[in-house]
Amino acid sequence: MDTEIFTPLRLDEIDSALQLELKEKLDIDIEACLECGKCSGGCSNGHIFDYTPRKIVQLVKIGDEETLAGMDALWICLSCQLCLDRCPSGIDIPRILDYLREKAVTQGVRASRPDVHLFMELMLEEVRDKGRVSEVPLMIRFKKKTGQYLKDAGLGFRMFLKGKLGFIPSRMQKPEDLKTILSERKSENKG
Amino acid sequence: MDDHVKKVLVIGGGPAGMEAALKIGQAGFGAILVEREPELGGTLKKLVSSFPKWEDPADLISFKAHMLEDNGNVECLTSTTVLSAERSQKGFRVTLRHLKNRGSRELDVDAVILATGFDLMDVSVYGEYGYGIYPNVMSSLEFEERIRGWKEGAEPMPKGVAFFKCVGSRDRSKGFPYCSRICCMYTAKQAGLVKDLFPGTKVYVFYMDYRAAGKGYEEFVRDIIEQKHVRYVRGRPAKVLPENGRLLVRAEDTLMGIPVEVVVDTVVLASAIVPRADTQALTKMFGALTDEYGFIESLPYTPARSGERVFFAGGCGFAVETQGALQQGAAAAAEVIALINKS
Amino acid sequence: MDIAYFPGCSLHAMAHEYDRSARLVCERLGINLVEVEDWNCCGATAGHSLDHELALGLSARNLSIVNRMDRGEVTTPCPGCFSRLKTAVHALVNSESMTRRMEKRLDATLSRLPGVTHLLQLLMEARGLRGLAQPVVKPLTGLRLAVYYGCLLTRPHRIVQFDDPEQPSSMDGLLQALGAETVKWSHKTECCGGSFAASEPGIVIDLGGQVLEAACRAGAEAVVVACPMCQVNLDSRQDEIKKERGRVHNLPVLYFTQLMGLAYGYSPRELGLRRLLVSPISLLEEKGFF
Repeated sequence: MDTEIFTPLRLDEIDSALQLELKEKLDIDIEACLECGKCSGGCSNGHIFDYTPRKIVQLVKIGDEETLAGMDALWICLSCQLCLDRCPSGIDIPRILDYLREKAVTQGVRASRPDVHLFMELMLEEVRDKGRVSEVPLMIRFKKKTGQYLKDAGLGFRMFLKGKLGFIPSRMQKPEDLKTILSERKSENKG
Repeated sequence: MDDHVKKVLVIGGGPAGMEAALKIGQAGFGAILVEREPELGGTLKKLVSSFPKWEDPADLISFKAHMLEDNGNVECLTSTTVLSAERSQKGFRVTLRHLKNRGSRELDVDAVILATGFDLMDVSVYGEYGYGIYPNVMSSLEFEERIRGWKEGAEPMPKGVAFFKCVGSRDRSKGFPYCSRICCMYTAKQAGLVKDLFPGTKVYVFYMDYRAAGKGYEEFVRDIIEQKHVRYVRGRPAKVLPENGRLLVRAEDTLMGIPVEVVVDTVVLASAIVPRADTQALTKMFGALTDEYGFIESLPYTPARSGERVFFAGGCGFAVETQGALQQGAAAAAEVIALINKS
Repeated sequence: MDIAYFPGCSLHAMAHEYDRSARLVCERLGINLVEVEDWNCCGATAGHSLDHELALGLSARNLSIVNRMDRGEVTTPCPGCFSRLKTAVHALVNSESMTRRMEKRLDATLSRLPGVTHLLQLLMEARGLRGLAQPVVKPLTGLRLAVYYGCLLTRPHRIVQFDDPEQPSSMDGLLQALGAETVKWSHKTECCGGSFAASEPGIVIDLGGQVLEAACRAGAEAVVVACPMCQVNLDSRQDEIKKERGRVHNLPVLYFTQLMGLAYGYSPRELGLRRLLVSPISLLEEKGFF
C-alpha cells in the first residue's frame, strides 16, 4: 500500500511570487485558467508527463516552484503548441515552461533529463561558434559527451551512404557579427 | 379588430411571444403575433422533451396555440415577417409580408415586443472536434432530431454517445466568454433520453461544471447520474479522432489528473447560444438596444424594455429555458399593458 | 518576383534535398529566392527553451538583415525558423522597449519589420492553385498521399495566422491541383516527436510511429511534409518503429517541393529523391513517373 503522507496545503500561506512574475514579465494571467483540462487532454507527451499542462498551471497557482523546477515535464515538452492553441483562455503554457526552464538552469537545478539539456546546450554552443548548426559536428560532440558512440551507429551509417552527412558544415562568414546578441549564459550548468 | 383598440405587435411565435400575445389579448388589448414559420412554437417545436419535468413540448405549444386562437383580441399571422417599420406619433407603422403569397399589409401599432429567440453558434471553428467533417459529430439541436428518429425507430442504436458541454461558451479564445446557461440542463436531459431508449448504451458527459440553478434542476441532474447511470467526466475534450468508422475522444479526467480516451458513435456538441441573425435587422428597425453580442439589452430598472415603445422577451435577450421564456413573455406583456393602458 | 529566402540550418545540411527542390520549383514559377546575407541560426528549439533573449536576438538579427537588403518580405521552408521569426516579429511589435533594446544591440532599425511567410504559404499566396498547376507536365495522378502538416506550420494560430490549426487544407489543395489524391486522416497536425531525435529517440519512435500508423490506416502510399525535422523523424526511424510497435510501414516521406518538382518534370536526381532513407523510387516507378 502507498503510504505517502500529505500535509495539507495551507492556502493562506501560498507564495504568489511566481504568479505575479508571470503576470508582470510575460503578461500571462494564470487566474484566467478555467481548469478545464483541454490542454492536458490533447498534450502530445501528456501520457508520459509527471505533471500534465493543467497540473503545471495549478502548480503555479499554489506557488510550488520547487516541483516545477525539478519536474520531468519541463524537459520533455515538445513545444508543439497544442495546449496554447486550444486553451479557451489562451494561456501560453509553452512560454511558461520556457520561463521556468530558463530560471531552473540559472539556479543550477539539475535537469531530469540531462541528455536533453546537454543536447540543447551543445546546439547553442554551435550557434555561438559558427553562427549555424550542422548535424554532424553537433552529433559528434553529443556522442563524445554522452559516451554513446554506438547508439544510432547503424542509422548514421545509412545516412552517410545516402549522402546526408557528407557536407562541409555550413557556417556564417562572419560569426563575430553575433557578438552583440550573445549575452553571457547565466549558468555553466550543462546537466 | 376595432381600429380604436390599442394594438401591440409581437414578433416571434415561440413560448415568449405566445405568452406575451396571450396576456395582452386577455387584458383586453389587441395583439398581432407574427411568426415566420408556418406553425407556432419556435425552437420548442424541435424538442422531444423538456426539463425538469419531462413534459412534451408539443403539449405546451398546442395549449397556448388554442388559447390564442380562442382569444378574439389576438391575430396570429404565421409564414409572415416584418418587412419595415417607421416610428409614428403613437407608435410604429409596420409593413408585414406574407412569405407564401407575397402579399404585404400595413398597420399601425402602439408598441412592439421582440421575441425572436436564439440560435446555436456554428461550431465548425472547432476543427479539433471535426464538426462538419466527421459524420456523427453534431450540435445539440441536431441531436434532438436524432433522438426523435430513435424514438420512431428510424436510426440504428448507438453503442456509445459522448456529450461535450461548453463548446463555444466560456471561451475567450475561439468562442464567447459567457455561459449559455441552459446547456447543462438540456445535455442532462438528452443524456437521460438516450439511456431511457437504450439502457445498454454507454453515455458520457464531458463537463467543466454542471449548472443546475433552478427549481427541481439539481435533483434532475442527480437523477440522470445516479438513476440513469450517465457517466460524467470532468474535463473539456481536446480532440476527436476518427477511428474505424467510430469516434475517439481524448480528454483529461481532471479530478484524477489522468488522460482518458473513449470510443463512441456519436459526439454531441452543446454549442454556444447566440442571437439569431435576423434579429439584428429588427433591432435596428425598431431602435432596440443591443449588447456586443447582438443580444437585446434592457434599459436600466426595466425588465423588458429596450427602447421607446420597444420591448423584448425570451432567447433574443439571452439564453433562457422554456419556463423563463414564458415568464419573460408575461413580464413584457405587463410592461406594454402598463404603457398603453394609461395613454 | 524577388523575395528574401531564409533556408535555415537543416536545409544547408541534412535537408539539402528540400533546399534544392524548393529552389528548382521557385525558379520554374518565376520566384527568385535571394538568400538572406550571412544569416544566423534561428536558435530553433534550444534557443527559446534555454535563453529567450538570445532566441529573440537571433531572429531580430535575421530580420534586420532582411531590412538592410531592402526586402519587405522573407520566406522560409522550415516551420521551426518560420515560428521563430514570426514570434520575434510579434514580440517586437508588442514591446517598444524590447524593440529599442534589440535595435541598440544590433545597431539596426526594427521599427519596420518584414512580412514572414513559410514557403508553402508564399507559393499559395503568390501564385494560387491555378498558377501552381500551370507548369505541370507530369500530373501526380495515381499517387495517394497523407499530407502531414506537423506542429509549427499552423500553430499557434494567433501568431502564425496561416491555414487552420486543426483541419488544415492548404498543402492538400496544392497537391490535388497537381493531380494527386490526398487521404482523409486523423494525424495531420499531431506531433512527430520534434527535436528529440538525438536526445530522446523513444519519443520520436512513439509519436512518429503513431503518425505513420495513422497514415497507413488511411490507405496512404506516401507521406508529404513541409518540415525538415518531420521529414527526418518520420523517414529515418521506420525500422525501429516497426520493431517497437510491430506494424509495417515503409512509407516514403517526401518534401512537398520534391513532389512539385516531379510534376514539373524534374528528374529524381535533381530533386534528391534517392537521398530519402525510405526510398520512394519503386513507388514512383510503379505509378509511371519514370
